[in-house]
Amino acid sequence: MNKTILSILVATSVILSAQTQASVYADFPITVKGYAGDKTHSESFAGQMARHTLHNSVKQLVSTGATFDQTSAYFSGKGEGRAIINPVSKSGFTVLQIKVDELSAGKNLAGKAYKGLITGMPGNLTGAELLQLMLEKAAETDNGFDPLTGYDYTQLISKFTMGAVFYNQAVDSYLDEKLAADTKPNNKAYKEGAAYTGKEHVWDEAFGYFGAPAHTLDLTANDVYLIAKQKPEGFAKADYNGDGNVSLVNEMAYAHAYYAAGFDKGGKTAYLHTIVQAFVDGRNLITAANGEALTDSERSELVAYAQVIKTQWQRLIAEAVFKYAGSVYGDLERLEIIIESNGDAVKAYRSYVKHWGELKGFALALEAGGVNLGDTGVKLNRLLGYSPVLLGNTQVVALVDGDFVQSPSISLSEYRVHMIKIQKLMLDAFGVEARSKDVTANLTELVGSLGDALAAEND
Amino acid sequence: MIDIAWVYEFASQWFEQIISLVTQGSKRVFVAYLVSALVIACAWLVWRRGLGIGVAIRHLFDPTLWWSKSSSADYQLLVVNQAVMLVLKPLILSKLALATVLFYGLNDLFIRPLWSSSSLGGLSASTIAVFFTLTLFVVDDASRYYLHRLMHRWPVLWAFHRVHHTAQTLTPFTVLRTHPIEGLLFGLRSAVVQGTLIAIFVFLFANKVSLITVLGANVFTAIFNGLGANLRHSHVSICYGSRLESWLISPAQHQLHHSVEQHHWDCNYGAFIALWDRMGNTLVKASSEQQLIYGVPNVGPQEHTLSHLYWQPFVSVWRSFRHRIQIKTRIETHESND
Repeated sequence: MNKTILSILVATSVILSAQTQASVYADFPITVKGYAGDKTHSESFAGQMARHTLHNSVKQLVSTGATFDQTSAYFSGKGEGRAIINPVSKSGFTVLQIKVDELSAGKNLAGKAYKGLITGMPGNLTGAELLQLMLEKAAETDNGFDPLTGYDYTQLISKFTMGAVFYNQAVDSYLDEKLAADTKPNNKAYKEGAAYTGKEHVWDEAFGYFGAPAHTLDLTANDVYLIAKQKPEGFAKADYNGDGNVSLVNEMAYAHAYYAAGFDKGGKTAYLHTIVQAFVDGRNLITAANGEALTDSERSELVAYAQVIKTQWQRLIAEAVFKYAGSVYGDLERLEIIIESNGDAVKAYRSYVKHWGELKGFALALEAGGVNLGDTGVKLNRLLGYSPVLLGNTQVVALVDGDFVQSPSISLSEYRVHMIKIQKLMLDAFGVEARSKDVTANLTELVGSLGDALAAEND
Repeated sequence: MIDIAWVYEFASQWFEQIISLVTQGSKRVFVAYLVSALVIACAWLVWRRGLGIGVAIRHLFDPTLWWSKSSSADYQLLVVNQAVMLVLKPLILSKLALATVLFYGLNDLFIRPLWSSSSLGGLSASTIAVFFTLTLFVVDDASRYYLHRLMHRWPVLWAFHRVHHTAQTLTPFTVLRTHPIEGLLFGLRSAVVQGTLIAIFVFLFANKVSLITVLGANVFTAIFNGLGANLRHSHVSICYGSRLESWLISPAQHQLHHSVEQHHWDCNYGAFIALWDRMGNTLVKASSEQQLIYGVPNVGPQEHTLSHLYWQPFVSVWRSFRHRIQIKTRIETHESND
């Protein structure tokens, strides 16, 4: 009898120890006191994953010329029966769910969009209002592209949604005020009858918004990149439970996790694993509290994990700003030469506008992190402007009666120099390290090829 | 408390630095350049001096040259200097930092002309590479001349450069008989010249600039080093003939630069190109028959000790400074008495 009890105790402690060291964001035990439901684990972030599919779907709808009503159904609607437009099954990459409701019902993006002021675009609009305006404008264009203002709405809406919804919700709400002791405490269910405590679910929601597969720590950055791209070679990596389908809830990669993987696979950074590790460590800490209120020291530790996530996430977005400033720099260079030689600039202009949309979308996202960017934000907005410099050297300067108004601005050459300054700003203000499309990459390369001067050779 | 890990790390870096002197193509005493110098010296002694191959080799490896007090000091300085330079490394101006600051500065001041872009219809990447590599070699060589000239003409700098000139026997390793202060100045020169040129070229030609290298060194530097630059510090007086020596500095011309004779002082400062010496009226042609004694006047045996080599320049500078103060004080006293 004693041996049996001892065996049970040892087995239990082994299981608990394994749980506290979980590396997969899954199968966390139910710790909430008095739970009477039939759930077997406590983590829950399907609502966030539903919003990721809404974002992907909105992006695809805008790029294929959908009407405002069609995009609105996914952006602000909560209707039942909405088919997931992206991601859908592809040859060699089957996804499990085909409707948004299968992930979570009644979700939209508009309700979670940033309500603070966005200064990087004209009109004194909040993040939510700006997204709404862009969706309306996009519906009036041909596949989301407006050559007259230089707006690629597909990119602007997608990148800014990632910032104004996912990034904002995670870092400015769940990893911020909702970590306070008296907000969503750990000794109470998140809501009546829930299988998770307040703090467990707060943490899960933030994790969900990052968009990483639950088993990210078992994957390489390249694996996660292939998964987000739905490449057949990424399928086996994604299908963690081996059921022959990729679950859009916990096996798929979206949004910032995809960008983190994209930068990290270059080998210079580790955003993906650093952020997910902090999420996993934080969740293990909350789970270990076993449904009791977090002590001050536990909460301090949790806030420290949150700070790692916030810092890394912000830098990750700054990396994207850096990268697309480099892309725009290259586009402008090509464009200027084509114009100089009276060539056909249509393709080059399209590429310029696309990259600018990505650049601007990420730059606006930085504003949605709940952090005062100070003069960095001012400089970034001034260098970038409200639109790309257009071929007649004009730029959008205002929003009047719902229309973007242009005014004479600087030349394309001068605007190209602004891209260099934006890269320098990202380097100085955020310490970006991946530095994709670095316009000064050649400097580093050449200095490397010349070697050092340590030998002290005479003449 | 001595941190063992730090000591180990430092020692291994020091060792790597020493080894890199003979394993990296960017270094003058890279083993391949030493071998090519040996072959050239042998050929010269056999064909021009009529020596048998055995005699030539014995002459080249004469132990009285290689193990003289002067040469032994070269080796000691070489080894210790690599550690000193490691410590002084943070003081060496970063080429990358300078190039980056200048690159941003150029972009602030000027708009890059479109003609310079090679992405479409401009200069080809290979043309830019040749242009950059050649410019770097020429400007680097000119700056070496100028700094070398300053080292001889400014008494404070001469105090440190004199260490190199106290060598009484010359071997290829004498090139590393350098005071660390001089090493810092070389590092500064290299950073300023290379950092500036890199910034200008990348400003003009964006990410299309590359350096043509052989064995990890600028191709022109590698060619000159491969063609016997190591014989500049040797007792083999290879001269190029009057016409060629107007353009390129021969080993024999550099040996004249090391001559103890007063009428040879302050000549042939150049490293590879003779043009700078011509422009500065310091060019002296050499003779393959020249018999030279190397060094500076009044070199005693103590000048080949490490302590003397490292400290004497500071002592000289201090004495010179004190002497000037004393003279100034005397003049002022004299004037006030008047």
